[in-house]
Amino acid sequence: MAPVTKRKRTDRSFYLSIAPFFAIFIAFSLFPVVFSVYLGFNDWDGFSPPRFVGLDNYAEAVGDPVFRKAIGNTIWLWIVTTGSTVALALVLAVLVDEYVLFGRNYFRMVFLLPLLVAPAIAAILMRVFFTSNGGLVNLLAGSVAGEPVYFDWLNSQFWVKPLVALLVIWRWTGWHMIIFLAGLQSIPRDLYEAARVDGVGRWSIFSRITVPLLLPALAFSVMTSTLGGLQMFDEPFVLTAGTGGTNNSATTLGMYLYATAFTNFDFGLGAAVSWYIFMAIVAVSVLYRLIQKRLDMGAS
Amino acid sequence: MRRSNPEKRFKLIVTIALLCLSVIFIMPLYWTAVFSTRTLGDVFNFPPPLWFGTNFDENYARVAEVFPPWRPVMNSLIVAVPKTVGLVLVSALAGYGFARYTRAPGHRFLLLMAFATLFFPPTLALIPFFLQMSWMGWLNTFWPLIIPALASGFGVIWMYTYIGSTVPRELYEAAEMDGSRGLATFFFVVLPIIRPGLAALGVWTLIQTWSEFQLPLVILGDGSKFTVPLALTSLSRNYFSDTPAVMVATLLGLIPVFILFALLSRQFVAGLTAGAVK
Repeated sequence: MAPVTKRKRTDRSFYLSIAPFFAIFIAFSLFPVVFSVYLGFNDWDGFSPPRFVGLDNYAEAVGDPVFRKAIGNTIWLWIVTTGSTVALALVLAVLVDEYVLFGRNYFRMVFLLPLLVAPAIAAILMRVFFTSNGGLVNLLAGSVAGEPVYFDWLNSQFWVKPLVALLVIWRWTGWHMIIFLAGLQSIPRDLYEAARVDGVGRWSIFSRITVPLLLPALAFSVMTSTLGGLQMFDEPFVLTAGTGGTNNSATTLGMYLYATAFTNFDFGLGAAVSWYIFMAIVAVSVLYRLIQKRLDMGAS
Repeated sequence: MRRSNPEKRFKLIVTIALLCLSVIFIMPLYWTAVFSTRTLGDVFNFPPPLWFGTNFDENYARVAEVFPPWRPVMNSLIVAVPKTVGLVLVSALAGYGFARYTRAPGHRFLLLMAFATLFFPPTLALIPFFLQMSWMGWLNTFWPLIIPALASGFGVIWMYTYIGSTVPRELYEAAEMDGSRGLATFFFVVLPIIRPGLAALGVWTLIQTWSEFQLPLVILGDGSKFTVPLALTSLSRNYFSDTPAVMVATLLGLIPVFILFALLSRQFVAGLTAGAVK
């Protein structure tokens, strides 16, 4: 008898301990997501009764040139920010780990500071420094050119996306660097020593030993950056003052979704867009799992 | 000796290059501080001021004409502090349940569910969540920014791995022998042991919350409730040409996180790497 009641008691303790998490999750995350399935199939402005329209919202989004442009912008930003942030962070991590004479702790911390600045605030700072009339960047350019420069960076169709990317790189490089530094600690020192004794050069050590052994950390980094990149909103929204830039040159999928729902009150279309974003994330996650599996098989 | 000389020179070049790069990285923050103490004329002059001026009080007064400069900071604290404490507790409790009661029926399935929540992109729930909050009458209050955020899949999984690797199983048995039941064991035995993990998750949550923009933008309509990023965005939109005033408000909004980072940077870094270990 006794073991049975004890068993019941520990089971109850288990459900009790995880109940708060699941209760809140179901009420405020699962319910909205299930509800958004319904929303995606309906035409609704939030006031008049919703009208079932089947897949119209999904078709409408695809038919909208701004949506297609937003897809292009999002992919551009995702690839450029992920590529440059991860590459820069990797190089910095290896240099700080191996080739720095002094101040290792300083370098560890200093690149993290931009992460403390909210994306929206970072975008405000960038607006101030890049403004056409009297902005710091134009002042510097003017002093080089010898005459005042009034280049309008923020309304330039060409420059606005690179500026958004620069913001993301500035904020996130330190974070990825810390991940890589932790990964580098797990690589045995004697591997490097042995390679050096055999006369292997710096570049070969980096490309043949460091990078392959860092692959798990690299995969984690790329995945995190992808999740953020596909949902990007704050940086382009604030940098373009909510407009998406000249001719929507910086409108991302996240901004498109926001505009459909909270400017035009087309909640159904917004929900459909959010499912497109979700599908993109699922696709990338599946790809990530596959690559991870290949890596595990390669390791064993 | 001959071999070590080029090696040393290479390292010196690397160190100096990194030093320069780090200066570029912090320059925007430094200029924010400098500009907040300068007059409007200084800011638009070339060369840009590199050292602090004496105009901070006047710039501060101009912000104060628009809104009380500390109000957004207070609003952010009202959201961030209860959310952080609650999120850490809810996560640690669930992590403890998953780490300890591995043989309870449904354990595997529920753990998988907790993992799956990591793949719920916040974007997906944004619109329906807004509608839900409007039906509940929670729009333009702080509740939607606090209560729903308490359930964090990331926090639970993180606490689960942390407790699994730091709390030995024998401890549960010993506590049981002493007559300590499940919840009491959590509060009086487990929580004190996992304090470093709690701190790391807490710092990470606080900094994330301080940065949050999209959700408050959708939920909060009344300017007096704006959190730091919202208040700054609307200030810079309406008074864009007054750079020193914008910089004063920015500086005030950044000070709390920078103090927190200065005090707890080690826990913060530990929190970052914990995610990668998984």
